[in-house]
Amino acid sequence: MINQIIANGLVAGAVYGLVALGFTLIYRSVKFFHFAHGVVYAAGAYIAYTFAISLSINPVISFFLAVVLAGVVGVIIDRLVYLPLRKCKAPSLVFLLASFGVFIFIQNLLQLIYGAQILTIRTGPVKEGHHFLGAVITDTQILILVASFVLCLALWMFVKKTKLGKAMRAVADDRIAASVVGINPERIILAAFAIGSALAGAAGILISLETNIEPTMGMNAILKGIIASIIGGIGSIPGAMFGGLFLGIAENLDIWKISAGWKDCIAFVILIAFLLIRPGGIMGVKSGGERL
Amino acid sequence: MEYFLHILVITGIYIILTMSLNLVVGYTGLAALGHAAFSCMGAYVSSLLALNYGLSPWIGLVLGACVAALLGIVIGFPSLRLKGDYLALATFGSGIIVYSVAKNWVAVTRGPMGLPGIPGFSIFGAEISSVWSYLILVAAFVVLTYLVMRRIVRSPFGRVLRAIRDDEIAALAMGKNVNKYKIIVFVVGAFFAGVAGSLYAHYITFIDPSSFTVMESIAVLLMVVFGGMGSLAGSFVGAAILVIFPELLRFLGMPSSVAAPLRQMIYGLLLIVLMLYRPQGVLGKYRWK
Repeated sequence: MINQIIANGLVAGAVYGLVALGFTLIYRSVKFFHFAHGVVYAAGAYIAYTFAISLSINPVISFFLAVVLAGVVGVIIDRLVYLPLRKCKAPSLVFLLASFGVFIFIQNLLQLIYGAQILTIRTGPVKEGHHFLGAVITDTQILILVASFVLCLALWMFVKKTKLGKAMRAVADDRIAASVVGINPERIILAAFAIGSALAGAAGILISLETNIEPTMGMNAILKGIIASIIGGIGSIPGAMFGGLFLGIAENLDIWKISAGWKDCIAFVILIAFLLIRPGGIMGVKSGGERL
Repeated sequence: MEYFLHILVITGIYIILTMSLNLVVGYTGLAALGHAAFSCMGAYVSSLLALNYGLSPWIGLVLGACVAALLGIVIGFPSLRLKGDYLALATFGSGIIVYSVAKNWVAVTRGPMGLPGIPGFSIFGAEISSVWSYLILVAAFVVLTYLVMRRIVRSPFGRVLRAIRDDEIAALAMGKNVNKYKIIVFVVGAFFAGVAGSLYAHYITFIDPSSFTVMESIAVLLMVVFGGMGSLAGSFVGAAILVIFPELLRFLGMPSSVAAPLRQMIYGLLLIVLMLYRPQGVLGKYRWK
């Protein structure tokens, strides 16, 4: 039983981790909570639905297009809303509230276009899963796990090894010092929004293979994403993935021991406990702590 | 006409909510995003007392507001140690926790099925039921809340609140116990939110957790910001416009499947536009820090 709980927790956690990765990447470069990240995740799933089901394009091509378009959505949000706010040097709470506005706007736009009912991308019969160490795990779940870990690793390598990644770390450390040495922070922010939002879109598509999609799915995703990145240590890339997995397993233990209805409650209790006791998260980053 | 009066009653309840949140957000500068938690508490406590123990809604209203204030201490004591975005997140989380308790503690709250048949207020043994009398009742509470709020913000106590908002370290250096002030103001805000929640429950006679979601907290925050941060008159304007204006969509003959998301989209857009062009609101003076 416990193996099955951990397997389910890892699958749920991998998706939280993906959302948290994108969120954390954006947070590092702009230093505010991009709440509308959750709605980019939902938009990714809906764009994939439009291509794969409504227009019956090959699933692989439509998923690829949806990931790219999710990145575009993120960049558009940044250009239309955050860039003007950055120009007038708005405080981070103003960014957060504007981000709530973007979230509400796009979520309801999705509802207006697609309706409030649940939709599904899955086609064909449901296949029985593989037995592995006493746990049953389906092909889709394996795909989710593998894709999440590959994306996480790729992002980590990108940030550690490439020139753009190094520039991103420089901007994350000190935006002004980075611009002194000739890095254009606006370009880095643009890249962060494009990559981070594409990751959110990928997470949305992966989860839509496993469950149904609905316009309000973004709320749960961003809440869990933010919690995952804070308990992992905000701004830390491996921390985001660890936080996601930790949260996924904690939630599934709670579904097993208590009841499924309480999982949001438990997630926030964990968050508040971390904020008060260990604001730097599991990885113990400094940037979270200094703002407290 | 009946419908119009109903909208006015709802507006009155939102004005109380908006004023109480304005005290916390607009006057003291604390980013509280979980205000619906307190109205939820007030509504549930006073409804359950009336339904299970036959307690008069008047006593229920006071007790409900007191329990909401108590919840304010429980939430405020740990989370007010945090600042800025983190305070926003902690209060937002508290809002979700309270909502999720109301939804999942089925044995007491009946969960998503809600509580039907909540008795209304009565005066000298006669239950008041007409919309007119509720309008007068709610108006009386609005005036009462306004007077209390005005007394608070114009007193030396209110001056300390504005000092905390404008420069917390300076207020601390002047020897003010900043944390104590923050908790008191948070509790007062929670108390009046509890009053508003209780009024709502006894007026509508039915409550379920869906009336107290985090989106509700954001809607009230939008009313505060739209009307004006740190302006009581602004709270009247903000609540009135944001409650009445979306109702007009109904008269354009739109089906509810279009009108509901459209209304939310207008809220979202309004929040973005406000943040871009006038973050202090229509009548406000204070800008976010």
